Amino acid sequence: MRPWVYSSVLILAGMAHTAMAQAPAAAGEELFEQKIRPVLVAKCYACHSSQLKAPMGGLTMDTKAGLAAGGARGAEVVPGKPSESRLLRALSYTDNNLQMPPSGKLADSVIANFRQWIELGAPDPRKDAVTAGGARTPLKGMSIADGRKWWSFQPVKELPAPVVKNTTWPRTKLDAFILSKLEENKLKPAPEADKRILVERAYLDLAGIKPTYTQVQAFVKDSGPNAYTKLIEELLASPRYGERWGRRWLDVARYAEDNSTSEATNPPFAFAWRYRDWVIEAMNKDVPYDKFIKLQLAADLIPGTPRDDYRALGYLGAAPVYHKEPRLSQEVLYTFATDDWDERVDAVGRGLLGLTISCARCHDHKFDPIKQTDYQGLAGVFASTMRAERPTRADIDPKLETRYLWVQQRLFDINVMAGILANEKQTNKEWAAKKLEGMKIEQQKLLAEVQTLKDRYPELVAHVAKIGTRSAPLPVALQADTNAATPGTAVGRPGRRGPTASDEPFMNSVYDAALYVDGKDPFMTEMDYRPGEARDLPLFKAGNVANPGDIVPRHFPTVLAKSEEESKFLQGSGRAELGDKIFSDAAPLAARVIVNRVWDWHFGKPLVGTPSDFGTQGDKPTHPELLDDLAARFIANGWSLKWLHREIMLSSAYRQSSAPREEAEQVDSTNKLVWRMNPRRLDIEAYRDSIMHASGTLSDKLYGPSIDFDDADNNRRTVYARISRGRLNTVLRLYDFPDPMQSSPGRDLTTTPLQQLFVMNSPFIQKQAEAFAHSVDQEPDNPAKIRKLFETILLRDPSPKELDLGMTYLSQSTLAQYAQALLSLNEVIFWP
Amino acid sequence: MTTSRREWIQSLCGGLGSVGLLGSLASQSAKAASLGHYTGPAIAAKAKHVIFLFLTGGPSQLDMFDPKPILAKYAGQRPAAVSGFRTERETGGLLPSPFQFKKYGRNGVDVSELCPQIASVIDDVCVIKSMYTFNPTHTQGKNLAHSGSILANRPSIGAWVTYGLGTENENLPSFVVLSPNTEGSSLWRAGFLPSEYQGVPFNSSETDPEKMIRDLRNRQLDPQAQRKQLDLIQAMNRDYSDSFGPDSFLDGRVKAMESAYRVQFEAMDVFDVRKESDAIREEYGKNSWGNSCLLARRLVERGVRYIHLYPSGAPDPIVRPDWDDHKNIFTSLQTRCPNMDQAAGTLIRDLKRRGLLDETLVVWGGEFGRTPVSEAGDGRDHNPYGYTMCLAGGGVKGGMAYGATDEFGFRAVENRVSIHDLHATILHLLGMDHEKLTYRYAGRDFRLTDVYGEVVKDIIA
Repeated sequence: MRPWVYSSVLILAGMAHTAMAQAPAAAGEELFEQKIRPVLVAKCYACHSSQLKAPMGGLTMDTKAGLAAGGARGAEVVPGKPSESRLLRALSYTDNNLQMPPSGKLADSVIANFRQWIELGAPDPRKDAVTAGGARTPLKGMSIADGRKWWSFQPVKELPAPVVKNTTWPRTKLDAFILSKLEENKLKPAPEADKRILVERAYLDLAGIKPTYTQVQAFVKDSGPNAYTKLIEELLASPRYGERWGRRWLDVARYAEDNSTSEATNPPFAFAWRYRDWVIEAMNKDVPYDKFIKLQLAADLIPGTPRDDYRALGYLGAAPVYHKEPRLSQEVLYTFATDDWDERVDAVGRGLLGLTISCARCHDHKFDPIKQTDYQGLAGVFASTMRAERPTRADIDPKLETRYLWVQQRLFDINVMAGILANEKQTNKEWAAKKLEGMKIEQQKLLAEVQTLKDRYPELVAHVAKIGTRSAPLPVALQADTNAATPGTAVGRPGRRGPTASDEPFMNSVYDAALYVDGKDPFMTEMDYRPGEARDLPLFKAGNVANPGDIVPRHFPTVLAKSEEESKFLQGSGRAELGDKIFSDAAPLAARVIVNRVWDWHFGKPLVGTPSDFGTQGDKPTHPELLDDLAARFIANGWSLKWLHREIMLSSAYRQSSAPREEAEQVDSTNKLVWRMNPRRLDIEAYRDSIMHASGTLSDKLYGPSIDFDDADNNRRTVYARISRGRLNTVLRLYDFPDPMQSSPGRDLTTTPLQQLFVMNSPFIQKQAEAFAHSVDQEPDNPAKIRKLFETILLRDPSPKELDLGMTYLSQSTLAQYAQALLSLNEVIFWP
Repeated sequence: MTTSRREWIQSLCGGLGSVGLLGSLASQSAKAASLGHYTGPAIAAKAKHVIFLFLTGGPSQLDMFDPKPILAKYAGQRPAAVSGFRTERETGGLLPSPFQFKKYGRNGVDVSELCPQIASVIDDVCVIKSMYTFNPTHTQGKNLAHSGSILANRPSIGAWVTYGLGTENENLPSFVVLSPNTEGSSLWRAGFLPSEYQGVPFNSSETDPEKMIRDLRNRQLDPQAQRKQLDLIQAMNRDYSDSFGPDSFLDGRVKAMESAYRVQFEAMDVFDVRKESDAIREEYGKNSWGNSCLLARRLVERGVRYIHLYPSGAPDPIVRPDWDDHKNIFTSLQTRCPNMDQAAGTLIRDLKRRGLLDETLVVWGGEFGRTPVSEAGDGRDHNPYGYTMCLAGGGVKGGMAYGATDEFGFRAVENRVSIHDLHATILHLLGMDHEKLTYRYAGRDFRLTDVYGEVVKDIIA
């Protein structure tokens, strides 16, 4: 790292700052927020922050005061005078002794922004906490009052389309917003993509599979004015749409079928696939987004909900759970329970509200207007919600079901505890014998109670009899009568601790029951579930369960609630009220968050660069008016995702070519202004599915239990592959599948050599290549075969040169080897 | 024969490519480095590589490195000083170690008769007797040891290190995991770091590279035929790039395919410990421990940044494969230690012989240690309150015992070193300030050490 060189001239120059800053142009402030601050955060704070014990060169740039004061070498910014500003000299890399950031020179366009900002008087709209001479002070989050003014919490309203010069380009309203910014920056939108590219783009986007050559030709030849609209409608009506967009949602919902360890107390979720199927079905039915979420949070608490929709509760019922070894102390297990609740708060916070509420677990949020009490107010909801394997059948009395769910869990726990005692060499034999005897009596009583259900609900009895068989075997001493008939069978090969899907008539779900961790017995800590009871948690000082403070009523985060009095959750766990509040009080935020995600999934780049963080540490939207207008109209159109797809996909912005353009890249190298469609790499699902589709090996069966990704007989779409938290499939992992331990804000798609080994050498690719080659057996000769293969996988005819290359290659190699080469091409995995 | 094979492969990489681009790619040095993301202040450091020997289950410090003669005096009793101790499972009286300890090396560091090979290189080893961590269970303890958090979603230290420093050899993964259990694990996850930094697991229960690495070999084409196929692919890729225009993904994938082609042969070579002389293989031991440690040395020589080993298996199937000795601990240790000791001792000796020990930090230990009180009469329970880990090379002082536990070996009491302190020290030895190696995620800057960690300066040479 190069030293910052001392300059006394600039200290004097820095004194002009105060006077100049009296008249900060609004444009300058906006420029700071949009272009300057993000760079400071990303490139400078690491070494120049007031949070550091010893900021480099004594310079802090994360506060207004620090930046104005400059560092040990003097002022950095001389407002109005770029040429005299040390900062600009450092950025420009012209001085060998003064070059920042050390990681490399920033883009010229970024440096130009800094120059412009300094020319505008370097206005700095940041509000510093009161400090003494830039000294290190503890971070304090935003107040609730200030927070209520935060951009992402403001109401959304439809805005007039901006006036643009080029009036022929806009097709849907969002185009005007895009074009207006492009024109401001003297950029032209890209021409419309080729029809062949367009139809491929739409298929991959909505169906997750490439079209067939016939489908491409039909579209290319259809010169009718509604050809493209018709195409979008067909795709939205296809069941493939739900498989594609359901999977998108499952990333956010951190869907998986087991736990990272899957030990005795947190075995795999054998029925999680029913949640996945529900998501696919809901997408296909275009269940309004607000209802879609409310069902996932509280289907069981919303009156009139059909039993089938209880599958939605897998969002909570198959959420990650930590193992709770009964031999651990009450304090340790209580902490694990709070880890589970924290995961739900985070999933709802970042996933649904775009807020890092989880940051307020141990203290008030350091940046956002979220108090620790707000965190605990939500955690209480999940402390009052217990996971359970609920029967799918609808004709069951709710009271009876609740009792059954409790008995089922209690029998499960007894089995685990008895298993420990049976497998352990006892030191305290007297205690163990007594404990075991007590559990045996309780178990027999509960089993007898379950037996009374035998005639009406035989599957419930059978299910209880199976407790222990999926994880630790039932200790002999406690063997229950397992002769009851067992409807359904386990599907798939049981992996070692891996998830095994079952088609027995149950769902991984939740019901209202408060969880307490019972430490009465010093040798064995027990989970105490209290059905129908809800619990308000105490504030845990510094997040420590051993240090409880005042009880916090369950409530919706204060900054989002319309009124504090009405923010409390009073019905049961509060899950239903939570869902209601998200779509009433916090509707603008919830709408912005999902609209931004959908935009991201369509364009490959979101409007807000941090899709799960709309707080103060997240990015600001590149097109705030567009986001607001689209969110407002999304709500007005009944939270319909299919409406949103149409609005986006029918736009001119979406139909742009993705070809690179040098002049535009110089102005906006990351395409924030949407001067073209972003070219992308296919995700693993679309890649695998498209290869199999071309090879003719892909089944179009909808729904059903999961199957191992690597299973040689797996001909299902990738969305039906088993997803494991503990043993995530290697290929999924290599291709950037998100870690299902936490809600994913989006996938970072990488390109690595190990991915290519899968394409070059895997039995999968060889099998597909052979099937692909066989699919052209009917063709008379090699040129015809080559042509047919090209049509199928590349959706176009080969060029004479390609034909020539192919013929030369085939003179020494097999057709399957040639087919594999085609499947491996960049053109196949690229999504222009 | 081996050299001519290598030359032949090189000729395939460079010679047959009729396309200029490919020729220039193939002739690039195999040791092309990728940049790191660490932007904090530079710290003068010797270590460039880490080999972490992880003893899953929690090895017994009381039987290897931390002698407590007083246990014999109170054998079977539970004196007042330890009576209130809450262990994970039910425990009884104090259990003395039956193993003889001696002082080794220039400074007289305690090592028991279970580890004669480590004892023989003790002048290169720093034994930290005062480790402590924050959870008595395996999953949470292992998460802490790997990521500094009890949660199962934070990046592993190997991911942090390779994120910070990049790699020296782009033909091999920068974070290699050698484990008999390769199907994904939370322990080598990248968490919220970009997925390219996740550990790449190789099955260490095999010695044939083809069986260690998924899809490493093409079962249908020989290298020449495969080269021909790749030439066809790349020729078409190049035409596609020409028609589309400059694009970083298209360029990147062309390069990645070339790398993959080379990885096949490089890995077949690097990952094959059978290419070592019999004498060396015998010195390490021809078993899971020996093979893994020898392979780790070969990977360090090729520029792999971080290697995490989870050797497993005991020579006798009646003994459990990991170090979680809740019962029958003494026979188990006697059965399990020789392979571990021989491999670990040889690794340190061999690295030194080759001049690699200075730039390679070897870390030895598990997620916690074990209790001085007995479980089930002849076992020891989990003990996160005071346990031992060893460091060697990479700029660490050798011949040193650091810190101490209380007189019974229950809690670390002197110069206590938390798991965060250890992580901070490892990063420091690699030239990074643990407070400055950060990643912005979910609205804040995350660190391996969270808000904790002090570098243990006393053990740095």
